[in-house]
Amino acid sequence: MEKIGYDEIASIFNAASMRIRENIKELSALDAATGDGDHGTTMGRAMDAVEKAVSESAGSDLKTLLYNIGWGAMCIDGGSTGPLMGSLFMGMSDAVADKESLDCEALAAMFEAGLAGVRKQTKAKVGDKTMMDALEPAVKAIREACDAGKSVPEALAAGAEAAMKGAESTKELVARFGRAKNLGERTLGHQDPGATSIALMFKGFAEAFK
Amino acid sequence: MVMKKFINDPANLTPELLEGYSMAYANKVALVSEKLVVRANPKPLDKVALVTLGGAGHEPALSGFVGEGMLDVSVVGDIFAAPGPPKVFEGLKMMKRDAGILFVVLNHEGDVMSANMAEQMAEREGIRLKRVLTHEDIAPGADAPIENRRGLVGCIPLYKVAGAAAEEGKSLEEVYEIAERFNQNMATLAVALKPATHPAMGEPIFELADDEMEIGMGQHGEAGTGRSKMMSADETAEIMIRQLSQAVGAKSGDKLLVILNGAGATTLMELYIVFRKVKQYLNEQGIEVARSLVGELLTVQEMAGFQMFVAKMDDELLKYWDAPCDTPYLTVR
Repeated sequence: MEKIGYDEIASIFNAASMRIRENIKELSALDAATGDGDHGTTMGRAMDAVEKAVSESAGSDLKTLLYNIGWGAMCIDGGSTGPLMGSLFMGMSDAVADKESLDCEALAAMFEAGLAGVRKQTKAKVGDKTMMDALEPAVKAIREACDAGKSVPEALAAGAEAAMKGAESTKELVARFGRAKNLGERTLGHQDPGATSIALMFKGFAEAFK
Repeated sequence: MVMKKFINDPANLTPELLEGYSMAYANKVALVSEKLVVRANPKPLDKVALVTLGGAGHEPALSGFVGEGMLDVSVVGDIFAAPGPPKVFEGLKMMKRDAGILFVVLNHEGDVMSANMAEQMAEREGIRLKRVLTHEDIAPGADAPIENRRGLVGCIPLYKVAGAAAEEGKSLEEVYEIAERFNQNMATLAVALKPATHPAMGEPIFELADDEMEIGMGQHGEAGTGRSKMMSADETAEIMIRQLSQAVGAKSGDKLLVILNGAGATTLMELYIVFRKVKQYLNEQGIEVARSLVGELLTVQEMAGFQMFVAKMDDELLKYWDAPCDTPYLTVR
């Protein structure tokens, strides 16, 4: 597959949503170790908003679809999850502009713009035990796959793999952001729920093409 | 242990509590647009409005302090979770006025992120506002960077002082200056004995051994710094008030506002016993407890523990603390 359009983007979001939904309990359990234990249900609410935006955007264009997904995620009252997910998707929306379909280059640029959107909201970097530990490597892997001439599904698969590795790496890290920060060394050994959510989303993105 | 709480569907906790609260105090507050608690009798447009935001599950905070002389709008999120930026923007837009808005934000990651984005939206709408970020937790050290210091119960006396200045007709710059002066002279330290249950999840939000306490615990069960064996009221009080009075630089002759805020399951009996020691300690130092308040202002479900708050007061701040206010959970006549 050389290019993906509106329908494929809608379907990768629905696939991501399904992946999150299957793991709501696990995500909350991860959060319970270092936070207040509601990350799974919060992500569930975010995915309700994503699915609603996908179905209500039918007939619109790619930019509007992504904007609506971002705005919907932002509207959930879920602490930092809403603004972070919202700015990821709204950043992606900015990048697609008036394009009707995306080749691998445009796909990579879209995820890079999403990452830039998140960076406007948080100073967290790789190594801080946050969603960034999964998001940055995923976006980087997608970019590298594209530069190496891979197809869109191959790039998404590379992104998913990098995100999962990144999420797993958070077990070795001490939290420096969010509520978990106050636990310091006690966060060692626990996988970050936000990074895990990102990894699940990218897994869903990739699986939509299987 | 199975959670024992009088609730219905866990997914509806916040809408149901807000509905009940606004019904119970219909003479003072109203609920609009699902998550905005506003004054029943709106403040005249020529006065500065006070808007704040925060998660639910901490009742009576923050919405319990909406009313004459304190808050105009409290934007409510979900249990222990900040409202989304669009809702916060809606609250700011509702209070748009030439006099401007004092926007009080507690330093928690989600709250600050929502506030940042809502402010960008407000700027595009030409909404005039100034933000005060409360960050008076001294658990990470009184000189720790601001981003590491949480906003705890101190937002509530700040609403009182700034709200009174706004009610008096002070300009946005003046209200901001007064609020910020109070903000820079306050400090809080929390202590926990027993965890709270997340009311939607049914699980305790942290663990603490039966014979342990933790000084520095935040209001979402974020761990503090000083876990220790259980101590007496006097020992606990002295450790905490010593750190707090140092943090605000209180010296002999200074006047303090002291608040003991119960976390939900700690009795007033215990709080009074703690207060007694606080007062004795400050007397010995020659520091005056000019005003005090003991009760439940900002709770964390059935968490046992309390937050000890002090602020160094000058005559103007005392005047605003004493000024009339009429809210469901704080009234001064």
